[in-house]
Amino acid sequence: MSHGHEADTLGAHGGHALPHSHKKQYIILGIVLSIVTFIELGIPLFKGVPELWSAAQEVWAPLLIVLSIFKFGAVVGDFMHLRNDLTLYKFLFISPLVLAMFSFFAIGSLSVVHFHPFGKGYAVTAQDLADGYVPPTVGGGADAPLADDKFEAAFADAQKTGFAKGKETFTASCVSCHRADGGGMPGLGVNLTDDCYKHGGKIAALYTTIAKGVSGTAMPAWQTSMDSEKLRQVSYYVRSLKGTNAAGGKECEGAKE
Amino acid sequence: MSAHAENLTHDDAHGHDGHGALAENNFLGLPNIKLAMWAFLGSECMFFGSLIGTYFFYHGNSLSGPLPKDVFSIGITSISTFLLLMSSVTMALAVDSMKQQKPSTARNFILATALLGATFVGFQVLEFHEFYTEKHLVFAGPNASLFGSTFYTMTGFHGTHVTVGVIWLVIMSILIQKKKLVPGKEAVNVEVMGLYWHFVDIVWIVIFTFVYLLEFLK
Repeated sequence: MSHGHEADTLGAHGGHALPHSHKKQYIILGIVLSIVTFIELGIPLFKGVPELWSAAQEVWAPLLIVLSIFKFGAVVGDFMHLRNDLTLYKFLFISPLVLAMFSFFAIGSLSVVHFHPFGKGYAVTAQDLADGYVPPTVGGGADAPLADDKFEAAFADAQKTGFAKGKETFTASCVSCHRADGGGMPGLGVNLTDDCYKHGGKIAALYTTIAKGVSGTAMPAWQTSMDSEKLRQVSYYVRSLKGTNAAGGKECEGAKE
Repeated sequence: MSAHAENLTHDDAHGHDGHGALAENNFLGLPNIKLAMWAFLGSECMFFGSLIGTYFFYHGNSLSGPLPKDVFSIGITSISTFLLLMSSVTMALAVDSMKQQKPSTARNFILATALLGATFVGFQVLEFHEFYTEKHLVFAGPNASLFGSTFYTMTGFHGTHVTVGVIWLVIMSILIQKKKLVPGKEAVNVEVMGLYWHFVDIVWIVIFTFVYLLEFLK
């Protein structure tokens, strides 16, 4: 790959030969990378061809990942010269890269276990919650809020302690919008002490609303900071407030239950 | 810091011509600036790794707002992706020209790289503007979604990196034009800028494939 370009150079320093030019190599690599990019872009277009498209997850997704790894390697190895550079530079770059990939895949696999990116397909919307959809993290296994038929016993258990655990959580996290007595605040939390509920007053519905929050309002998704036991206990406490009709509470919102 | 580096070069009799110590060789015989850049890029791997990882951790868990498929436009993003990829070619050619002692050719390639990079940033500004105003993808506040927050943080930091790179490229082209930076020993300054630029390109290679293209396979 040696090219003599001495004619229009500033004049090489006496005796020191210029390093080899890699111009041709770079241009060829640029063309190859362009072709690879066009192939990548073409893959989503297969959507119009059902026979090709049925293989999407099995073939096309891994192919896209392999092609991006190729591009990544080509840019780092050739444009950044790392392939023929010092081991020290390789170590400085590749070791954090490997660590970053480990954490990336660790986090990624957690998200598959705890959430459901491939389950329902997409985000749970407020409409889904209103329709009674209970996400797997909330509805399944040991995390489940107790079904309504078991509600009496569990509620009675919590009642023995005066809903102490739930009240503690409520005092720590909920009173800034729902008021200490649950009466609610204009523009913020609803009144929890009347018989009206916007997203359902049954224990499972209360649990889901508290866990997932309500989009477009100030109500956050508490499952990001509370475990299911806390969510359960605070649901019981909120349920216990029903009908206590706090003085000066907010007007009825939603449906009477 | 630089005084320390200068002491090292003096002690090791590597010569010192009054230019910045960063371009000097250290006691290992390596240019300080290049060693520093590789170490910095290593830390950048962790930085972008966590931003991209966070995006995927929350992917598909937004409670509200538009979803990736509602907002992504594969056509526009493909063009800007292609431009950024081509900017890596011009950057490599700039470094090569500098090593070949052809500063004006190098300067032209650097300006071409800056132009391609600036166009990429321009496309991103347009994209963000469209996402925010027309598609109501919100970054922060009560109406923000997990997708909005993680997407803007990730791609915003990448765009900022490109912007910093463009500024660096323009400054470098001026220095070469004014002969304040000459081939030879100082070619390493252009090479190191190239390392940064190529890194920004590979981050986009990953984001474009994993965030944009794979979205359309689902």
